[in-house]
Amino acid sequence: MARPSQPAATAELTAASEASVGSAGPSAIAQALEAAEARLRSIMQTVPDAMIIIDDKGCIESLSATAERLFGYEQGEIAGRSINVLMPTPYREQHDAYMQRYLSTGERRIIGIGRIVVGQRKDGSTFPMHLTVCELRSGERHHFTGFIRDLTDQQLTESRLKELQSEVTHMSRYTALGEMASTLAHEINQPLTAISNYLKGTQRLLQRMQGDDAAILRDAVGKAADQALRAGHIIRRLREFVSRGESERLIESLPKLIEDASTLALVGARENAVAVAFRLDPQANLVLADRIQIQQVLVNLIRNAIEAMIEVETPRRLEIATVAGSDGLVEVTVADSGAGLAQEVARNLFQPFTTTKRKGMGLGLSICRTIVEAHGGRIWADARPAGGTVFHFTLRTAAEGEEAGDA
Amino acid sequence: MPNQVVHVIDDDADVRQSLAFLLSTAGLAVRVHDSATSFLQVLPEVHDGCVVTDIRMPGMDGLQLQRRLAELKPGLPVIVITGHGDVALAVDAMKAGAIDFIEKPFDDETLLTAIRAALARDARDSAREAQLAAIRTRLQALSEREREVLQGLVSGKANKVIAYNLGISARTVEVYRANVMTKMQADSLSELVRMVLSVGDAS
Repeated sequence: MARPSQPAATAELTAASEASVGSAGPSAIAQALEAAEARLRSIMQTVPDAMIIIDDKGCIESLSATAERLFGYEQGEIAGRSINVLMPTPYREQHDAYMQRYLSTGERRIIGIGRIVVGQRKDGSTFPMHLTVCELRSGERHHFTGFIRDLTDQQLTESRLKELQSEVTHMSRYTALGEMASTLAHEINQPLTAISNYLKGTQRLLQRMQGDDAAILRDAVGKAADQALRAGHIIRRLREFVSRGESERLIESLPKLIEDASTLALVGARENAVAVAFRLDPQANLVLADRIQIQQVLVNLIRNAIEAMIEVETPRRLEIATVAGSDGLVEVTVADSGAGLAQEVARNLFQPFTTTKRKGMGLGLSICRTIVEAHGGRIWADARPAGGTVFHFTLRTAAEGEEAGDA
Repeated sequence: MPNQVVHVIDDDADVRQSLAFLLSTAGLAVRVHDSATSFLQVLPEVHDGCVVTDIRMPGMDGLQLQRRLAELKPGLPVIVITGHGDVALAVDAMKAGAIDFIEKPFDDETLLTAIRAALARDARDSAREAQLAAIRTRLQALSEREREVLQGLVSGKANKVIAYNLGISARTVEVYRANVMTKMQADSLSELVRMVLSVGDAS
């Protein structure tokens, strides 16, 4: 299908004849030419990359079978046309000028460098691609070979990543709100409990006293206590409203949850030279979880782990592991080789507004605890024997003995 | 039982004290503890009563405390109170044997009812425990020979068989048997057997 048109073959011929001229006659030259052409043809047919050869006017001379498939053109219909049909406006209009500039100044913008550009298919659709251009010189003539890598899948991955990221970000804002409400509920419930207890106790004491005033006081104090309880109920409802929200627990694959979450959380980890190891127990597979919430817990723990290691020089090792327990729970651990936790930090680790970071609300781990506990699990941290910290949390498995009614 | 004490464990001093006030106005003896750990430290001195514990506390939390108590002092009733009424937590607490799970703030009668139920259960358990202790003491007062005869009786052997096994006369066995009945304060053979079985051991 790929028929190299004349000029490219001529380039090959020049090379071939330089090698053989002088020692052979004209028929040998013709043979060499034919062989070279056949070689080029088979390369263009079989090379897995999309490859396009153009001349110094920007006209397409030949393209590989992969390039034909990628752009939707056949060799026959595009050979001889300008390469700019393969790019969308405004690049299409500018391309000739680029080539002119290179040919007259020798200034390289893309040749031998490679960059990400946009290609256009025959049907008009565009796609991201990585383009590397090599120059081929034979005598006075220039040829250019373009190597093209389709980035569509890669970009899809990235956009999926962005999507995941925004889901989790949205959720973490949502959960941060829930956590605020929850913290508020807890903090206000405590004094309300004390108020109600004192009033009810006073009411009891007044019951033993005689006189009209005692009866009036008893009544008033009892009513005040009821108001404290009422405030408690309002807060409880607010909390239920915020926390029940969109939480939906389904049967999820734990390895998949970990894979997705670590993809998100490990963005940039390689740049910090963090070695990541996974040790996943095949028995710890299906769990009952709200996917986004548990991913949020994992992302939080992994990011914390990476941040804990940024400041140390020792080898940065992150280990994410799962173990299936016998009690219908699986344990997930995220271990870092950071400096470990200071005593006073460790003590209040999961309390809201506890933080070691300069900018941070200190809600991350508190949210993790809220989520894990709402899933019927526990979360805790301890020191790694070799230095660093291990965070553990448990989740209920969905495999067996699932209890009806409390999801 | 007059010696029963309600042990209140909450890290919030105000809640702790208000609970102590409320419970004392209801005529209950109260001791407050600021953490699970400090309660466990005085646990050896704790005898009759019940525990009212918060769930969320720094260090050991209420559920962990509940599990430790089940090991160290099984039978001591526990009531769990929480500012966070999570279903999952409530299920865990009840599964671990809590008498009740109460959300803060609570109506005093709700808590007092739970506490009275806990104390009643504890009293029943204590009375039973006291009875068992008495039986064990009596068993210990038996002589070697009396214990051997008792073992024979409990395993349903006739006097003659016991006599043969021990190499003594049937009359002597009868004397030992009467002594055992007296020392064990048993009115009948069946009561004697029930006593021995209740402590699970005749030796």
